[in-house]
Amino acid sequence: MNEPRWPLRALTPTLWEIAPSARAGMRVPARVFATAALLEEIERDRSLEQLVNVATLPGIVGWALAMPDAHEGYGFPVGGVAAFDTAEGVISPGGIGYDINCGVRLLRSRLSRAEVAAAAHDLGRTLFAAVPSGVGRSGRLRLAPAELDAVLAGGARRMREMGYASEDDLAHTESAGRLEGADPARVSEHARARGEDQLGTMGAGNHFVEVGYVERVLDPAAAERMGLRAEQATVLIHTGSRGLGHQVATDFIRRMNQAMAGYGIELPDRELACAPFASTDGQAYFAAMAAAANFAWANRQMIAFEVREAFARVFAGRDAGLELIYDVAHNIAKVEEYSVGGERRRVVVHRKGATRAFPGDPVLIPGSMGTASYVLEGAPGALAASFGSSCHGAGRRMSRTRARREATVAGLRAELAAQGVTVNAGSRRGLTEEAPLAYKDVDAVVSVVQEAGLARAVARLRPLVVVKG
Amino acid sequence: MPYRRLEHTSDVRLRVTGATRAALFRDALRGVAAAMRPRGRGAAVTRRVRLEAADGTALLVDFLSEALALMQARRESYREARFTRLSERRLEATLRGTAVEGFGEDIKAVTYHEARVAGGAAGGWATNLVLDL
Repeated sequence: MNEPRWPLRALTPTLWEIAPSARAGMRVPARVFATAALLEEIERDRSLEQLVNVATLPGIVGWALAMPDAHEGYGFPVGGVAAFDTAEGVISPGGIGYDINCGVRLLRSRLSRAEVAAAAHDLGRTLFAAVPSGVGRSGRLRLAPAELDAVLAGGARRMREMGYASEDDLAHTESAGRLEGADPARVSEHARARGEDQLGTMGAGNHFVEVGYVERVLDPAAAERMGLRAEQATVLIHTGSRGLGHQVATDFIRRMNQAMAGYGIELPDRELACAPFASTDGQAYFAAMAAAANFAWANRQMIAFEVREAFARVFAGRDAGLELIYDVAHNIAKVEEYSVGGERRRVVVHRKGATRAFPGDPVLIPGSMGTASYVLEGAPGALAASFGSSCHGAGRRMSRTRARREATVAGLRAELAAQGVTVNAGSRRGLTEEAPLAYKDVDAVVSVVQEAGLARAVARLRPLVVVKG
Repeated sequence: MPYRRLEHTSDVRLRVTGATRAALFRDALRGVAAAMRPRGRGAAVTRRVRLEAADGTALLVDFLSEALALMQARRESYREARFTRLSERRLEATLRGTAVEGFGEDIKAVTYHEARVAGGAAGGWATNLVLDL
């Protein structure tokens, strides 16, 4: 279904703008990073209408932005970035999403592609047993209330105290794996109950643990800084804050829907529910979101621990290395400072399906099984044009139902096997729903952020062993 | 059929209908419970729910969100809801179902996206619901 077209003006071949005059109430322009071809895909759903809605929110600064992998979400489009003045603007749980601090962690190994390929079957089964996936499988830790509080307050730092992380891990994690201001008391009993046995679990859907290799080095100097070289085996971990984070989002979207009238805020979509950042409601959400983000960093750290143990079992007597290159969120809100219109502004940046891309920092773009993933490095252009943000993946282009119709388990396994990819999945249904044909072309998405000066491609990774829920 | 699944690019979209508001709420609960694809069946369980919301649409979404949270946290699946009170903005209900081993689908949330509870006339009650996966 093609949605009504918005008046888009090309600012560059990879940047398009909808002026504030396009609809009453827009406070800033809406901008889309895309080629004409990707823009055509984005226009097929309600992403642009949602982006225009975001541009109407109180206190928005600069632009409402969509990345090249944008698609329709709830309230905000997925692949959306928006910054709000911390004094006059709002915070919106829908601008972070239901999976708070969904993100990606990349580890490099001392093993080669050939060494992993030779052990792929054993490694896949060992990882599948070690990292609980799907719904209802618990992690090795079941946290008592005080222990859960410590994780919510401490994030990956707490995992270090518990012996599941190194200082080097923390040094290579966004915000050192812990957001300041997290308040466990703001996390509801429902959220706690959904999360208490989920630390160290992957979940389902598009979440995965993937052992791959560096297919191509695209920026040798940056790759060397990150310790990456061609044919080297790597591990990607993609998951978030699990049921705990989902419930925090649900709780606060509900709370803000009830509170908005009191702030005189009227919105075209309930999923945009928001409150002034400086208000009691806004600060309560920010503190709960930070706690859920910390849970997610602890979760990915715990999974990395399980992965290291699994490698030690499979490659007995060898040090696989498995040093962390970086861990970065793509669903989060953070307080940062930017120059906007020549003025220094302190803003709360909402990244929903968008990855932080500070100059020199790694930016991790996961593909789906059978397709490439990318390691990028943030570029100075991101600070000027996208509030230090880049894309987060390929983005879905096909419904799960259609993917199930078009892909068969046997066909998919054969296709992946032909590419040298071993898959261990908890469900046949989940496997076909996540078939590569259901996703946009990750190469095209990465090419846009590179051309737009938001990030530079450092290496292209290919999967060898995929473990999914 | 009281609910049916419609096409959606990334998530689950349901069309729910009912002769009465209570039927709509009950069938929406069944739709969400079925979408979670519960595995195994254990002892019978009942849970009480009391809610207030700004309007009928928010009441339905909040009711389903509450049921989803209980189902996931307690590993239970509810197929029946009996309402001792159900108005535009308030409800009291008893949920009935069974304990389960787990779920085949990881539903993150019941969203307000596309939800618009409408009805009351001879045509009965209806809404779309989108579940975030």
